[in-house]
Amino acid sequence: MIFSSELFFQTLIAGVMIGVLYALMALGITFIYSIVKMINWAMGEFYMIGSYLQFVLVVHLLGPEYWWVAVPLSALGVFLLGILLEPILIKPMFVKVLERRDDYATVVTIALLLLLRNLATALSGPYQRTPGSVLPTVTLGPLPQDGARVAAFVLALVAIALFQFLIKTTWLGLALRAASQSRIGVQTSGVDILRLDQLAFGIGVALAGLAGALLAPVFLVFPTDGVVTTVKGFEIIVIGGLGSVPGALVGGLMLGIVESLGAAFISSPYQNAYGFALVLLVLLLRPTGLFGERTRQA
Amino acid sequence: MTPLLETRGLTKRFGGLLANEEVSILLERGEIRGLIGPNGAGKTTFANLVTGIHAPSAGDIRLDGESVLGLAPFEIARKGLLRTFQVCRLFGNLTVFENLLLPYMARGAKGSALDEGIGRARELLELTTLSRLAQLPAKGLSGGQRALLQVCCGFMIPELKCYVLDEPFAGINPVIKDAIIDLILHENRARGVSYLIVSHEMAVMRRLCSKITVMIEGRVVAEGPLEEVARRDDVITAYLGKALT
Repeated sequence: MIFSSELFFQTLIAGVMIGVLYALMALGITFIYSIVKMINWAMGEFYMIGSYLQFVLVVHLLGPEYWWVAVPLSALGVFLLGILLEPILIKPMFVKVLERRDDYATVVTIALLLLLRNLATALSGPYQRTPGSVLPTVTLGPLPQDGARVAAFVLALVAIALFQFLIKTTWLGLALRAASQSRIGVQTSGVDILRLDQLAFGIGVALAGLAGALLAPVFLVFPTDGVVTTVKGFEIIVIGGLGSVPGALVGGLMLGIVESLGAAFISSPYQNAYGFALVLLVLLLRPTGLFGERTRQA
Repeated sequence: MTPLLETRGLTKRFGGLLANEEVSILLERGEIRGLIGPNGAGKTTFANLVTGIHAPSAGDIRLDGESVLGLAPFEIARKGLLRTFQVCRLFGNLTVFENLLLPYMARGAKGSALDEGIGRARELLELTTLSRLAQLPAKGLSGGQRALLQVCCGFMIPELKCYVLDEPFAGINPVIKDAIIDLILHENRARGVSYLIVSHEMAVMRRLCSKITVMIEGRVVAEGPLEEVARRDDVITAYLGKALT
């Protein structure tokens, strides 16, 4: 492989762009964990639902030129689904006194994963579809980039900015930040933690749904299309540290860049392996993740 | 007149351990009650039961004559029964100011009420000389300042009727201890806040509380002025062990 600076910059930009989308996924995982204190293993399925909603809206309802209307609608749809499912699946683990909450959450969300995946196969068949894209190729500097990718990158940045705005400046954000530090503490301050859980779950899965909607024209839409992105999401969590928002962003960028550069300059079939190498490196040097903190269970 | 806080036969079992057994307490409006007892007597368990952190195995809790049994901690807090924790539960990554505003906002305050909350937070910061630290994350505070801030958080709530303080003075320097005592008395006189104070600091209890409840091994064994209960043989024995005779 011949090294050229043009190729280097092109792959770097591609890495940054896809990294931000992976970060969206990781943000959802980390956000739900930091409030509800559970890992949602069905994140990839919410991604998948987001991608299908985008497909249906673009192809059957709105038309391809209104893809940008479909994106927030798809995310909203996934948000509402999260709001609907949380009281049924997640809330019972806090209302009743459970001995092993982690185990409960793991079993429930893996069951949900299987249900949603099979439901998607039953409804749409195993076919791979694409909503297509009307966006032209964009030239960034001297280099061409796929228009749908650039659009996904920009909208993901907007979504992350909105998320940060919500968390840093609103009262809901204040309650969420407080709840991420002490669930008991916010309750004795008068915060209804169960409603907060529901909202946090909805927002978290909506981030995955948004990633699915944005990446629908870039990758294909099929019942297990969320698997790869979910694995990336969890890799980022290990790199950045569970429960850390900056960790999710920095980890996402690092993963995207390492994979792109590795694929371009070492060997492309091993693209996924470079990310794992990065994960192993972080585990060796900083087992808590770059931004993770050692916590004490009280 | 109905008492402010009343527990009837409050019992809590943890497996085979009877942490609270038939605890009945009457707290009058405006009263500052001390709750003492050796380690493991069930004082913190009692605080947890009253504020809804744990559900009692038996018994009833009434605030203003109305049962709060089965309510979630946040509902009890909104009814004006607040608490602090022995292990400080401040939100370390939030600023001092945000820590104060959170309980105020959690009641669903909006619009002009918000300005009132901000004003109230400023007032409390002024009163406790924490003003210059207002925009710092709470984790940067010293242990004493944290304890002080934690107590202040409850005073942010206009509906506060009864404040349960679990070991508010433990391991705190005398200056801040005095600041907390002044704050407690100030809020008691200004708007009639009642207190249930769990503490081992007898000197402070003597200053604050006209009546003391003594718990030993999950049961209430004595109630009355500190001088009186401190003379009782069973209380002395529980604290110091049996005298050699």
